[in-house]
Amino acid sequence: MSQLTEEQTAPPKRVHRQRSATQWAVAWRRFKRNKSGVAGLAIVIAFVVFAIFGPLFAPYPPRSTESLLQGQAGQPPSWKHPFGTEINGIDVFSDSIWGARNDLWIGVAATAIATLIGLAVGALAGYSRGVIGGILLGIIQFFFVIPTLLLILLFSRVFQVLVYQGFGVNLIVLILGLFGWPGISFVIRGEIFRVRELEFIQAEKALGAGNLRILFRHIVPNVLTPVIVLASLLVAGNILTEVVLFFLGFGPANVATWGELIEEGVQYVSVYPWVALFPGLLVVTLVLGFNLLGDGLADALNPRLRE
Amino acid sequence: MGSLINYIIRRVLFMIPVFIGVTLFTFLIGNAAGNPINLIRLAFKGTLPQNVYLQLVAYYHIGENPLIRYLYYLWDLIHFDLGLSITSQRPVASEIGPWVWTTLYLQLSALALALLIGIPIAIYSARHQHSKSDTTITGIAIFGYSTPTFWLGIIFIYIFSFYLRVLPSSGAVSAITPWWGNWTLDRIAHLILPMTVLTYVQLATIIRLLRGNLLEVLKQDYILAAMASGLKERAVIYGHALRNAITPIITIIGLSLGASLAGAPGLETAFSWPGLGYEFTQAALALDIPTVLGITVIISVMVLVANLATDLVYGFLDPRVRVS
Amino acid sequence: MEDLLKVEDLRTYFFTEAGVVKAVDGISLDVRKGESHGLVGESGSGKSVTALSVMRIVPKPGKIVGGKISFDGTDLLTLKEDDMRRVRGSKIAMVFQDPISSLDPLYTVGKQLIEAIRANNETVSKEQARDMAISLLSNVEISEPERRFNQYPHELSGGMKQRIAIARALARTPTLLFADEPTTNLDVTIQAQVLNLMKDLKKNFNMTLVLITHDMGIIAEMTSRVTVVYAGQVSESAETHTLFYHPTHPYTEALLKAVPRLDKRKQLQSVGGNIPNLIDPPTGCRFHPRCPYAIQICKEKVPDYEEVETDHFVACHRWKELSLVGVQ
Repeated sequence: MSQLTEEQTAPPKRVHRQRSATQWAVAWRRFKRNKSGVAGLAIVIAFVVFAIFGPLFAPYPPRSTESLLQGQAGQPPSWKHPFGTEINGIDVFSDSIWGARNDLWIGVAATAIATLIGLAVGALAGYSRGVIGGILLGIIQFFFVIPTLLLILLFSRVFQVLVYQGFGVNLIVLILGLFGWPGISFVIRGEIFRVRELEFIQAEKALGAGNLRILFRHIVPNVLTPVIVLASLLVAGNILTEVVLFFLGFGPANVATWGELIEEGVQYVSVYPWVALFPGLLVVTLVLGFNLLGDGLADALNPRLRE
Repeated sequence: MGSLINYIIRRVLFMIPVFIGVTLFTFLIGNAAGNPINLIRLAFKGTLPQNVYLQLVAYYHIGENPLIRYLYYLWDLIHFDLGLSITSQRPVASEIGPWVWTTLYLQLSALALALLIGIPIAIYSARHQHSKSDTTITGIAIFGYSTPTFWLGIIFIYIFSFYLRVLPSSGAVSAITPWWGNWTLDRIAHLILPMTVLTYVQLATIIRLLRGNLLEVLKQDYILAAMASGLKERAVIYGHALRNAITPIITIIGLSLGASLAGAPGLETAFSWPGLGYEFTQAALALDIPTVLGITVIISVMVLVANLATDLVYGFLDPRVRVS
Repeated sequence: MEDLLKVEDLRTYFFTEAGVVKAVDGISLDVRKGESHGLVGESGSGKSVTALSVMRIVPKPGKIVGGKISFDGTDLLTLKEDDMRRVRGSKIAMVFQDPISSLDPLYTVGKQLIEAIRANNETVSKEQARDMAISLLSNVEISEPERRFNQYPHELSGGMKQRIAIARALARTPTLLFADEPTTNLDVTIQAQVLNLMKDLKKNFNMTLVLITHDMGIIAEMTSRVTVVYAGQVSESAETHTLFYHPTHPYTEALLKAVPRLDKRKQLQSVGGNIPNLIDPPTGCRFHPRCPYAIQICKEKVPDYEEVETDHFVACHRWKELSLVGVQ
């Protein structure tokens, strides 16, 4: 009898999570209240604008050693060269602008590839039981065991030396994409396991709803939340990997990225410290932006964590 | 008790297919050009010394079919025979030992320090959620995992080695005269800068995770119930809240420990720290395939073992895990 | 009978980012020695926070901002934290709503009981504590206490967990026990068993019980006096019998109408509307937006807490003119 009164006197509880337009609006309102998340979004948007329109105002083309001929190599920051120049006369400010474009491209495109693969593998692993599910889980686990970062370095190097050198940054995009998916697929697999056991989905099944309907009406919206968050954090991770990769000398030659500038700067850090300093600060700012954005999204999109 | 043993056996059995997967993977990389010798010859053109070439032909059993060669490879691995380094012309296995140790003592000392500092900070931060100091702490933490470690290392080197000249900038030990007059102090002097950078980054991760978990745990009724039965607040925080909040983090620390065995090539290179990451980088740049694959296999096995240990510790700490 | 616990004008607020939630906003309560006192209201009305305030374990960002709590002649709100800690568990104890989350999943039943027995009481040796724990387990009618002692919470059923939570609350034979919805999360059949157990334990341990619930059925069965709270304030307080047959507050009437009755096949009525937002509560009488009898004055003026008869108080502008329907 007390169960009846519970239903009648207590405010209605939310039984399941089903996203509708209003819920996205609610999430957006919650996100807007989160100052650090909004700051992250602002940083990301600023960098995207910078990457799209910045090159129109860049004083020099990418990797241009023009200033070397004018005797301007290794100059400290000045009005003419706001971030200084490096040993070959490359204007650090110009290349930082071109680098923003390349770094964002690497971060976002590699994440897109990883997310697509991750979604496909994760959904397959989540839906198939038995042998196929077991094998896919094994493959995911395998990627957690091997030293991914080292293999990214190795693949980049081997490919450039033995196969083809002309892919430029897209080689890095491809390799990062191919190594970046296991984390996403693992989470998606878990989320699908969780969601398909929820009562309302069982009920819909019992009512004869087709698998596709269930997939698109319930699974996809539920899985989307962690994917958005993970993708945002993965962009940050990919940019950091790009920087290390170039710093260690595994990047393709002759492309303007922040990592490439830092690599050049590090070699002469005792004489031209600005060359490594400014692009490094840009890396920290953009990565911070994506991390803050990811954290903010996680708070806003996850009702389970709501206070 | 029976369930715990069962759990251990299941975890150990699960390692075998993953181990086979890893060896198959490195074998496939090695044979990407048909067989390892072809790959090595592609990279070294005409410069491969004859004696090394002959030893490698023997080691890889060139001429046998791939399946037989894989089985030989497994057999050699189990006997800790990883072939010959092309650049140093010494057995890879005997070279790797010191590298593993150099990486481990940097990583473990940083991890220990990060835990020591991070746990009290995370507790403080969680208990004063939304306070000014909490915001500052989370802010400093999020910078920690947004910063490339090697870049931070370079800044430290610039300040402390080039500018202030108080600490060494590279290597794990001095070549001729020891720093601070003694070889033990010399090693410590070399450790300080890379360890500080690494500690900061790990601290960021620990604080972020532990703070988040603590906030969840502190809302649980068992915390209120423990308070209500008259326990001291310290006993509740350390005995119940921390134990519940840190148990899942053990898994993450274990996994990241595996990753950190390999994951600091940038930092190790910035400090010329002769560990696995640095040496892998050197070998990969030189396309020293036996060394590269040897390091890959060794790291994978160490990660497997670390994961197993993590699972066991977790199973020991959380009785609920043993069941499923 | 004398008052064991006297709460006057208690105010406990939660300082959240969204605003100040006035969870308890002027609750007064007197609990007499030896009685079973019911604290009834919808979830979110401030019942639990009142109990947590008495024990001074309100979680952050909550804070007691006003009022007076005297227990057995001691002013609890002015006690030093160390002295207050000695009151918890030994004088006042509490059983929580959700047995699943009120036991620490990482420790065995025995460890948690021994911990409660030995809190502030290290003179009890571990062996003595073990024996006491086993006898506590048999007190709460748990079969095979020796075996349960070494089990983890996840190995036990919900009803058993709640019995253990009760055993822990009784570890140092408190004089006052708060039971916060102790049966809400249990199966219906188990509910009756646990309630009977609590009745017996109250008698055997010579305790005073404050039972927090939203369930008027449990109130009828278990308590002799009731305080009805609404939106952080007391709306009515009386002997249970009086309250059921002669309610004077429209909210009490609404609660009574929501009780299902086996003997009358009448349409059940729920209390219409939702409990108000406690950040910005309604003006005047907080119940007025949901009250069928509300008139202009109810929106404008906060009603006084008036005496209807001995031991019967109500906070309603219109109690004299309304003739409300209780249980018939």
